[in-house]
Amino acid sequence: MFTFAETDRRRFIAGATALGALSLPLGRALAAVPKRGGTLRVSVDQAVTKLNPLQTRVNCEYLVAELLYSGLTRLGVNMAAEPDLARSWSYNADLTEWTFTLRDGVLFHDGTPCTSADVVASFEAILDPKTASPALQNVGPIAQVTAPDKTTVVFKLSAPFADLPVTLAYTNAKIIPAAIAKSGLARLDQQAVGTGPFKLVSFEPERLVVVARNDAFYDKARPYLDRIEVVVYPDTTAEGSALISGDTDLMSTVQPTEYARLKSSDGVNALRVPSGQFCNIILGCNQKPFDDVRVRKALALTIDRATMVDFVVEGYGTPGNDSPLSSAYRFYADQPLAKPDIAQAKQLLAEAGYPSGLTATLIASDKPSVRTQLAVAVREMAKPAGFTIDVQTMPHSTYLDQVWKKGPFYVGFYNMQATADAIFSLLFTSTAAWNETHWNNAGFDKLVGEARTTTDEAKRRALYADAQKMMHDEVPSIIPVFFDLLGAQRDYVMGYRLHPRGAVFRLDYVSLGEGAPKRG
Amino acid sequence: MTELFRRLLRTPQGALGTGIVLLVVALILIGPVAAPHDPDAMAPLARYKGPSLQYWLGTDQYGRDTLSRLLYGARATVVMAFLATALGSIVGAVIGTLSAFLGGRADEAIMRTVDAVMSIPSLLFALLIANLLGKSSLDAVMAIGIAFAPGMARITRSVALTVRKQDYVHAAIARGEGGGYIVLREMLPNVIAPIIVEATLRVAFAVMLFATLSFLGLGAQPPAPEWGLMVAEARRFMHLSPWMILWPSIAIALVAIGFNLLGDGLRDALNPRT
Amino acid sequence: MSLSYLLKRCGLTAYTLVVVSLIVFAVTQVLPGDAATMLLGENATPAALAAIRDRLGLDAPVWVQYGHWLLGVLHGDFGTSLRTGQPVGPVMIEALGRSLLLAVLAIGFMLTLAVPLGVLAAVRRGRAADLLVSLVSYVGVSLPEFVTATLFGLLFADWLQWLPATGYVPMTENPAKSLQHLVLPVLTVSVILIAHVSRMVRSELVDVLHTDYIRAARLKGLSARAVLLKHGLRNALLPTITIVALDVGYLLGGVIVVEEIFALPGIGRQLIVAIEARDLPAIQAGALIMAATYSVVNFAADLAYAALDKRIQYD
Repeated sequence: MFTFAETDRRRFIAGATALGALSLPLGRALAAVPKRGGTLRVSVDQAVTKLNPLQTRVNCEYLVAELLYSGLTRLGVNMAAEPDLARSWSYNADLTEWTFTLRDGVLFHDGTPCTSADVVASFEAILDPKTASPALQNVGPIAQVTAPDKTTVVFKLSAPFADLPVTLAYTNAKIIPAAIAKSGLARLDQQAVGTGPFKLVSFEPERLVVVARNDAFYDKARPYLDRIEVVVYPDTTAEGSALISGDTDLMSTVQPTEYARLKSSDGVNALRVPSGQFCNIILGCNQKPFDDVRVRKALALTIDRATMVDFVVEGYGTPGNDSPLSSAYRFYADQPLAKPDIAQAKQLLAEAGYPSGLTATLIASDKPSVRTQLAVAVREMAKPAGFTIDVQTMPHSTYLDQVWKKGPFYVGFYNMQATADAIFSLLFTSTAAWNETHWNNAGFDKLVGEARTTTDEAKRRALYADAQKMMHDEVPSIIPVFFDLLGAQRDYVMGYRLHPRGAVFRLDYVSLGEGAPKRG
Repeated sequence: MTELFRRLLRTPQGALGTGIVLLVVALILIGPVAAPHDPDAMAPLARYKGPSLQYWLGTDQYGRDTLSRLLYGARATVVMAFLATALGSIVGAVIGTLSAFLGGRADEAIMRTVDAVMSIPSLLFALLIANLLGKSSLDAVMAIGIAFAPGMARITRSVALTVRKQDYVHAAIARGEGGGYIVLREMLPNVIAPIIVEATLRVAFAVMLFATLSFLGLGAQPPAPEWGLMVAEARRFMHLSPWMILWPSIAIALVAIGFNLLGDGLRDALNPRT
Repeated sequence: MSLSYLLKRCGLTAYTLVVVSLIVFAVTQVLPGDAATMLLGENATPAALAAIRDRLGLDAPVWVQYGHWLLGVLHGDFGTSLRTGQPVGPVMIEALGRSLLLAVLAIGFMLTLAVPLGVLAAVRRGRAADLLVSLVSYVGVSLPEFVTATLFGLLFADWLQWLPATGYVPMTENPAKSLQHLVLPVLTVSVILIAHVSRMVRSELVDVLHTDYIRAARLKGLSARAVLLKHGLRNALLPTITIVALDVGYLLGGVIVVEEIFALPGIGRQLIVAIEARDLPAIQAGALIMAATYSVVNFAADLAYAALDKRIQYD
């Protein structure tokens, strides 16, 4: 048996502090003893329409769900699993059975105790397709969840899996009361009954969500704040102006076009962290013309990735190499950056049987607008090599209905995942939930499958390096740019760190320092 | 005809409107030839530039030349607005004339339905239809055309009602001509003058509506150099270059002013008062 | 104003609403991608889609869905939003309240400016003031709201920093701030209205001033000012009422863009969000409420016209 207990957590936190100390304001924030009390006003750029934590879908909803609910584990800034409701965990030798020990005396917001029965019921709800929880495809190969006693939960897996503690920290894998899980989830659309650090005070989807400190939270030190107001600003310019004028304290997401303005404002700290979020050009490997690897490589060779970083995200990003792992992932393997080479692209096209070039329609959903931005730039860059690309924009619902996972040539947009396995087996293996490229490469599947069941760090690293090389060589999709995540805060906000995953906020670690305004 | 034209040019609105509209027509015809740059050519090192000798009106987020895009975009914007108005006017004119010709209960039913449709604001109506048809310039043209039809039907009907009482219509009915013949050959030609005035004013409105649809993401799509779309895209980069938003806004306003002036001038020229 | 006229008017309004609801229903039925695909996004699985469609009743035949909906509306229930799960009616009515506040402020602002401008132009017909007013009004009618709104935002919020760029604060929370947030939207909406109405007032007044009736008043020895205000303006304003009522229709469309740009959670913004999410009950409720408002305002305008007209006849 191998176990992971709370003592290990200190190691991770120490690591995080060392990283944070590199940038001065963050280092200072962590060094100071957090002051208790106060109201934090956070702005988000979209309506918080879903309150039910099993069904949330966008970052601002994750932000609210994280305040109100807990999972078994949570994701640290270094992408490792940290204890949440589970105090510790262990696994058997072949990685098919995981045992989690829960904290004692945890209470739901309605005062009822949270036990292993609630955990089992929550996961049963998540795994029920009728719930339509995004967690279903992301929590790992769970076959059965049982509760031998009040504080123990056992996960039996259908296949060996090394990443379970991390995948259980998935944004939608939150614990809800068994009574609600069984009697109907609709209740959670209007109210929140969780074990999270804050309780729901009011909920207006299009405007404002207010939460207040949960005094019964399992950690006596946290949260530091008394109250958090999540304010919706549908217009990003207005959102930035509100932070600059001091109406809000923290901006969860900043658009690249707004970053420079915020950075130069007094009293505002602009935050930036490299991430694995990307936009890619999906090349349907099962349809003409992209079934020919030479055509795929030819298109990849036309893309000037360094310039693309400027065009798409104003320079706030890193160039990509057609593998979905960026430097923000633990198992990222460095490769020489693909350079544009029009002559070679032309030659490959000719070899593939398109000496006079080829015409294709590239489809981009209208949300977010960066998809179109990328498509238009690709169109121009590919022109000299003989690609005539017609860009077609469509409403997101039409795109989901008619193009996504079906079309041969379109723009995808994906968040960073917690592990290498999560992103590979979400998008690129032949059994992937969203196998949109239909690359279906047995060699690649084997590498990813093997890494899944390997605990030896070095061996795993080697397997993932091969997998990344393979994607770079065969280009099932063009991944030209990784986006940095951008945020901003007033300088008196302490302890906030931008999380590379994008969907994790950890506001229970945030406190207010000197100079913070008093708010009702 | 020349008499009408002379009267048109004698009114200040008519003269100014004719001037602007002629200028716009010239831009549509020679724009692509006159453009100093390729409207799609990107220049990574010349993004967000203000006006300069090389780029008279500056550049956009890809370093594309704004002036060239405006010149090419004249077609994408004005021709589409014109088509939309033509479509709406024709459909509306046919419905209106038909309603007036049929009279009685049929007229009542048609007009009440037209009233009902008109109670949906035309932008909302166009939004719904554009969403239904899809996102492209042609779909937006259809949407605006359909949204315009009820209003045009109403105007045509009131004009046609007076025409219907005229002797030549009675004569045609007496001759035993078919309904279609009478509507198309006898009545429509005589209601055309007021329709043209209304349609000219509507072109101005269509330019604005088309630009608005593009602005809301339902009309022209990137990388088209449509003016409304240019404003919508430029909004995101407002803090990096305000010029990007200024020029297409001015262009839209100028064209709309031109057609408004021309429409008023035509009206005065057709019904001389005092 | 006979009873039968009133009944006919009400019947027409009912007919209008039925036609509107049928159009909206028909349009949303053929929109590609339904609410279920939008709700689930990339996480849709066939089982999950089926479960949601079943729960939302999207699988029933179209006429059953319509009948169901109509029955609900007759009981005052507009259904629940497919997007948020909240009842649509109250949300839309509340949003309408915010839009009406914007509309009323805009009309008020417009009247205080447009009428004097129109009078000035009419009195000084053909002179510099007239030309200036008509030039300004041409520019006004020719600027789409999204352009005006963007330029106002750039000028007042960005460069001068006098006013907040966008957003909305409820009156009950902070009246001063609430008004601040309303200034730019009201200004934007007013521009076209002012341009339109001042031209209308001018041309009506010019016509009225030429009638025998005014000449007679002048001959009676009334002062120019009295003639203008008491007789001229009243007669000129009469058709203006109808125009203002018609403008309400425009206004309802115009607020869609203005609310979207200024992030004002009125009925226009709700509608745009609903259309994007394929949220049928919300689109239906929004469109119906807009059409009903339009019908009511026009009816009120007709009543006002008739009432004023009568008094003038007996004058």
